Amino acid sequence: MKLRFNRSQLCIPYALFLACFVIAPLIVIVYYAFTNGQGQFSFSNFVNFFSSTNTLGTLLYSFALAFSVTLVCLLIGYPTAYILARSNFKKKYVLLMLFVLPMWINFTLRITALKEILSVLEGNISAYPFLNSVIGMTYDFLPFMILPLYTSLLKLDKSLSEAAEDLGANKLTVFLRITLPLSVPGIVSGITMVLLPSMTNYVVLDMLYNSTYIMGSLIGSYFSAYDWNNGSMISLVLLVIIFIVTLVTNRFSDKDAERGTVL
Amino acid sequence: MKKLNRAVALAVSAVFAGGSLAVFAGCAGKSETVTLRVCNWEEYIDLGGWDESELIDIENNYSEEGIIGVQSMTDDFTEWFKETYGYEVKVEYSTFGTNEDLYNRLSLGDEYDLVCPSDYMLMKLIAEGNYVEFSEGFWDETKEENYYAKHVSRYIDGGEGQGIFNYPAYDWHKKAACYMWGTTGLVYNPEKIDSVSDVSTWAMLADGKYSRQVTIKDNVRDAYFSALGIINSEKLKSGNLSESERSGILNDTAPETVLKAQEVLKDIKENVYSFETDSGKADMVTGKVIANLQWSGDAVYIMDEAEGDENSTELWYSVPDECTNLWFDGWLMLKNGAEKDEKLRTAAEAFVNFLSRPDNAVRNMYYIGYTSAVADGTVFEYMKWNYGADEDAEETFAYDVGYFFGGEKLLEVDACNFERDADGQINRGRQLFAQYPPENVIARSVVMLDFGDRLGDINRMWINVRCLDIKDISPVTAGVTAAVIVAVAGAACLYAFRYRLFIKNKPRKGYEKV
Repeated sequence: MKLRFNRSQLCIPYALFLACFVIAPLIVIVYYAFTNGQGQFSFSNFVNFFSSTNTLGTLLYSFALAFSVTLVCLLIGYPTAYILARSNFKKKYVLLMLFVLPMWINFTLRITALKEILSVLEGNISAYPFLNSVIGMTYDFLPFMILPLYTSLLKLDKSLSEAAEDLGANKLTVFLRITLPLSVPGIVSGITMVLLPSMTNYVVLDMLYNSTYIMGSLIGSYFSAYDWNNGSMISLVLLVIIFIVTLVTNRFSDKDAERGTVL
Repeated sequence: MKKLNRAVALAVSAVFAGGSLAVFAGCAGKSETVTLRVCNWEEYIDLGGWDESELIDIENNYSEEGIIGVQSMTDDFTEWFKETYGYEVKVEYSTFGTNEDLYNRLSLGDEYDLVCPSDYMLMKLIAEGNYVEFSEGFWDETKEENYYAKHVSRYIDGGEGQGIFNYPAYDWHKKAACYMWGTTGLVYNPEKIDSVSDVSTWAMLADGKYSRQVTIKDNVRDAYFSALGIINSEKLKSGNLSESERSGILNDTAPETVLKAQEVLKDIKENVYSFETDSGKADMVTGKVIANLQWSGDAVYIMDEAEGDENSTELWYSVPDECTNLWFDGWLMLKNGAEKDEKLRTAAEAFVNFLSRPDNAVRNMYYIGYTSAVADGTVFEYMKWNYGADEDAEETFAYDVGYFFGGEKLLEVDACNFERDADGQINRGRQLFAQYPPENVIARSVVMLDFGDRLGDINRMWINVRCLDIKDISPVTAGVTAAVIVAVAGAACLYAFRYRLFIKNKPRKGYEKV
């Protein structure tokens, strides 16, 4: 017996999944976002969001936090990925494993451990809520930054940098003109994988005693107050932001893939 | 392909056959077994598995030995139910984390027969009509198995209009049955505070002296209550308020009061260690914080835990002089569940009765640390067994819990576990004080009602407290952040243009793009 599926049939399981768990909830979110408590169409949730200095402040705070986390992840992750990609072949996978290993441990557990370490280092950890949140999220999301960087640096053709050196470029110029531009797709996908989740990952904030809300906790607080409408509107705003960020970053990475073939 | 089709057909028919079998089984079983769907707080019932050394060695009318939890309370209930009522019950036990969580689940269509929310949520559900009254038979004290009616404290509930559950403002009697009750206060480490007058007021939460050393619950109701206590401190402490005036002050949800509370809570937010959801207990036990707003039951748990570990610390519980929130968790039979079926309702009522059987009440109290609504001799004996003064105690006195147990009920206790004023009033103490507050504490307690249609406003206030307000951002922070962003973006732009990163390289004439 031979099982034959054509491509579109193979898509059915995912299409079903998509319809049930992505599209249907989205429709529900949009419905709630543009209705009021009585189920009538209204823009009041939209107005509420953009007229309150508190929600806008939360948006700003989330951005500041996510931006810092991404920056720190990039600064730590890039050298790490570079070293990993350039290291001796035999050791490489062991080293990579060491960096991915923490991901196998449940993240609440890791944050709990981190809490104790920070308590030792800082004394009273509640005095530095923003710093702690950045550290916690960096700890959490660093592998997501390292992995795409690592793959893009691994793919990098060594002969290119050798050629540049032959033509008289020093190490810095080689890095700036060859390595870095060619790893831009990795950087971009690393940024998307860190920036977006860190805007909403409020569990880390809760566990590290940061009492200021970010977008995720704001949505949660509306939902626990039975206010589905305002909560959905904020989710929708977040979704639009994510959509825009993805659009922008996609442009970069696509173009770059093209450049790769030109080079 | 044919084979596959046959296999599919076989599988489908098997599924259908199985399904219909299950349906038949369901029908056949229905005459004998009822399924009782209970939803209770997390960690709010004895799950059994006690060590033999944990035996509570007091007289028990319902068993030869003392009191011990061998198997879980629900398993014991199924056995007892079969013996007493002659048919079987299956308990589907689930839990919830907050009252709002439960309410959301109910409004999303989850069905339960018996739930155990707190006072204000009882009010909300009752106001919405989502309940079934307990039957007349439930209150018949002559029946052996009606443990709730027989043993519930007359201070809380009772047949002839006695007890708080009968107050017209709440009117829970016959609609709900009390399970646990208690107060709110501050758990503190007496060695780490400057003076006890600090912990005798809610203002400790905003006291700069204890900056980042006190935790508060991440819960708008408890936070709002303590803020009201701070705002109205002088009035509440003056001592010449009637009960209804006091209740009016602490249930005040007028817009200007909410606004005032918002300012107080913002100060508190800047001052406390954290708004905790569940970490407060551990932080108190490990000594990360020196005081913690707590419900009395959790306070008992914390004090027990802190005593138990190797570097044992003695923690105390204080009820602030202004006020305390008297709270109740009660069983409510829900409309779309228990109403359908007489047998199911019997099972639900039996479940409440079984939990109210004095030995089971003791088991639950031992296991979770909260105070049961049951006021029976066995419970009193348990208190004596647990907290009665040792023979070698230096100073003892009689602790009066008569208001709860009825009649002359004095417990001879060790004086070192209580702090008595000159006029004999007790405002701070250890476990027993937290479990059964003395009457002077009860006198300043208030039941916090449901916010009703003011809920939206109060939640908005809470969000305002927790969110960063753009207006509050200091120019320095804003400037530094802006500078960093501009610098990073500028560097990226410069780099991109310097090395023509994103500019398409057109192939030179005569060369083709590969």
